[in-house]
Amino acid sequence: MKLSTLTSAMFGAAFAASAAVADGFPERPINLIAPFNAGGGTDLLLRGLAPHFAEAIGSDVFVSNMAGGSGTVAASALQGQRPDGYQMAYMSVTVSTIQPQIKNVPYGVDSWTPICSVAASPTMLFVTADSPFQSMEDVVSAVKAEPGKYVYGSSGPGAITHLTMVSAFAGLGIIDDMKHLPFQGSGPAIKELTAGNIQFFGDTEILMKRGDFRPLVVFNSERVEGFPDVPTATEVGIAAPLNELYLWGGLFAPAGLEPDVTAKLEAACEGAVASDGFQEFAANSGTVINYRGAEEFDAFFRAQYESNAALIEAAGL
Amino acid sequence: MLSSLPDAIAILLSFEGLVVLVLGTVLGIILGAMPGIGSTVAVAIVLPFTLTMSQAPAILLLLAVYAGSVYGGSIAAILINTPGTPQSAATCLDGYPMAQRGEAGLALGWATVASVVGGLISAVVLIFAAPQLASVALEFGPIETFALILLGMTCIVSVSTGSVVKGLLAGMIGIFLSTVGGDPILGEMRFTFGNWQLFAGFNLLAVVIGVFALSEVFMRASVHISKVSELVAFNGIVLPSRAMWRGRLRNLSKSVVIGNLIGVLPGTGAATAAFISYAEGRRSSPNRAGFGKGEPDGIVSSEAANNAVTGGALVPTMALGIPGDAITAVMLATLTLHGITPGPKLVEDNPTLIAAIFTGFFIINLLLLPLGMLLSRVAAPILRVREAFMMTAIVILCAVGIYFVRGNPFDLLVMGGAGVVGFLLRRQGVPMAPLVIGMVLGPTLELTLRQGLILTDGNFLAFFTGHPIALVLALAACVALMLPVWRALRARSTA
Repeated sequence: MKLSTLTSAMFGAAFAASAAVADGFPERPINLIAPFNAGGGTDLLLRGLAPHFAEAIGSDVFVSNMAGGSGTVAASALQGQRPDGYQMAYMSVTVSTIQPQIKNVPYGVDSWTPICSVAASPTMLFVTADSPFQSMEDVVSAVKAEPGKYVYGSSGPGAITHLTMVSAFAGLGIIDDMKHLPFQGSGPAIKELTAGNIQFFGDTEILMKRGDFRPLVVFNSERVEGFPDVPTATEVGIAAPLNELYLWGGLFAPAGLEPDVTAKLEAACEGAVASDGFQEFAANSGTVINYRGAEEFDAFFRAQYESNAALIEAAGL
Repeated sequence: MLSSLPDAIAILLSFEGLVVLVLGTVLGIILGAMPGIGSTVAVAIVLPFTLTMSQAPAILLLLAVYAGSVYGGSIAAILINTPGTPQSAATCLDGYPMAQRGEAGLALGWATVASVVGGLISAVVLIFAAPQLASVALEFGPIETFALILLGMTCIVSVSTGSVVKGLLAGMIGIFLSTVGGDPILGEMRFTFGNWQLFAGFNLLAVVIGVFALSEVFMRASVHISKVSELVAFNGIVLPSRAMWRGRLRNLSKSVVIGNLIGVLPGTGAATAAFISYAEGRRSSPNRAGFGKGEPDGIVSSEAANNAVTGGALVPTMALGIPGDAITAVMLATLTLHGITPGPKLVEDNPTLIAAIFTGFFIINLLLLPLGMLLSRVAAPILRVREAFMMTAIVILCAVGIYFVRGNPFDLLVMGGAGVVGFLLRRQGVPMAPLVIGMVLGPTLELTLRQGLILTDGNFLAFFTGHPIALVLALAACVALMLPVWRALRARSTA
């Protein structure tokens, strides 16, 4: 008797809780998942955002790490979770749009409720400061003169660094005359660029600034502020859809989140991104803030998913 | 940089500086000693605290935890045969037999002194020779690294206690386990059978803890159940006397050099250094006959080398802005958050900060000795509990540590599976160290081999014709393989 009263009370409470989920949300701490190791770029960004997100939503927020498989382990784990708004992952362009199209992962374009985008930086192709290449024209003529001689690096197959190289060299029609040398992470690749084992590498501006490097082209819709002399991909003759490439990222919850909860999370994200604290953090860490609300981000994400298929095709992944 | 020393020392002697150095080292030793929590996780745990600190203390805290955790790993390796970090796996090989012999305090003494010496010398090298050593790192491309790892692989033979064939078998199993997951060149999935949990491969730490610690627990459980006994007798660290060092200094200095050089090379790391140094000790030490049975030189080889890596890894990080491993990458990210751009001009632009970091690193290594002795004295009573309780505690600690790292229950299954397989293999006399070596070195061996083949258009001979460093290392690997054969033949002919 006692037990059944308790059980029914529990069921009743659970039912009441689910009916009032949007009103009371959030009732417990929210988990933001970084699909990469602690200390990496994604992790730091999320840890910079978390306290401001917590303030905006009025609940505790904690960051957890679930690294592995270029971010696919965390994304695969999250897609199977209940869409209650208490778990979200910060996913980049590669985790959300590239990996599901090249690997047999249990998630795809319809697995998510996009909440908001947070950051986006255009990528750049660069060479060492003492490199003979001053422009992409130099590169094209050198590669055509000696096919098979030049090597471009990446931080791993399918990574944003790889896609930058593919956009540039496939866009200019010389990729088949070049060799691809993948590394594990940008650090070793940059070392080999300095040592001369690879001639080209591509990443965002913040990484490019770490060494004595010269950017040759930027994959942005217009020239970037810090480098007014560096031409855009369109200017050097790279056609759409390979002419623009951004390392973007944002918060995703599993598909089927209640609209009320989505709205609450979206508002909190907007408040957190706009907060003075996060703005200062972004300025210090070289994060290029690019906020999009849930609806806009959903459309952007789906468009990217489709247009990146061309990139994957060109990369031969 | 030397001219900024007074300013740097003022930073270190401030209240914040001292607190960070002492607390960071203590925390590092404790976290390193906990099974499953490797150096990377230890550094990540303190990372959030650095965000509110000023520049120098922030980096010093990370450094203190880093150096402390590398040393701390040896404590659990020696006392309970559970490497707290993968880089301490080689320390188990002689540390635990020594502890079982009743010399746990002395074994830890050797480990402590070797760690401190290794760390201190690497700090001095860092202060005076960072730019020169950084250029050495640039000489090591994929092909040179491949040859170095090849040399490292030969230590499978030297750590194979009992049967070399069984050791090679274990090594192959280790290499095979390391191929599960994403292909490093093509990105395709291997041996995952469509299971996304395997996309990241087997977690190295989970396997190491499984085959060393869990299998040990199973072994003990299978041998005797009711006997009430202390695991190992331990009353605190006993430092080796000066007389005991006779004939061992050469091995110590060699290990420090190996650790420093390997630390400088991005993408190799402390575990690789410890194994290569152990193999070299086993080859050349006058006490080599006792290796694997509780020989202090084995502990010294492994511990001096893995602590010397800490200073070495900072060389390319500080001189070139290129992180050597996951931990130095975290440090560079922290610098960025504090508004400093890492890169070739880092030292030039921030002389005081760098001087503070380098001298602070020296002090951290000095602190390892007193703090290590203090902490192990505090920890000693814990080891006096009954064996059954201790074993249970080890299993729980390992499980908590492994789950904590990635929050993935699958890693627990990997650890349990590795424990059972390790137990079965050990019952058949298959040594476990080669398996770990295979798993640690396998990925780098494969990656650099395939990178090299891309660079030479598939011509393996060109690895050695155009790369003198690679040629020398490959020849050294051949010698290392032939030496035991040659020695055995000579012993037979004189007999």
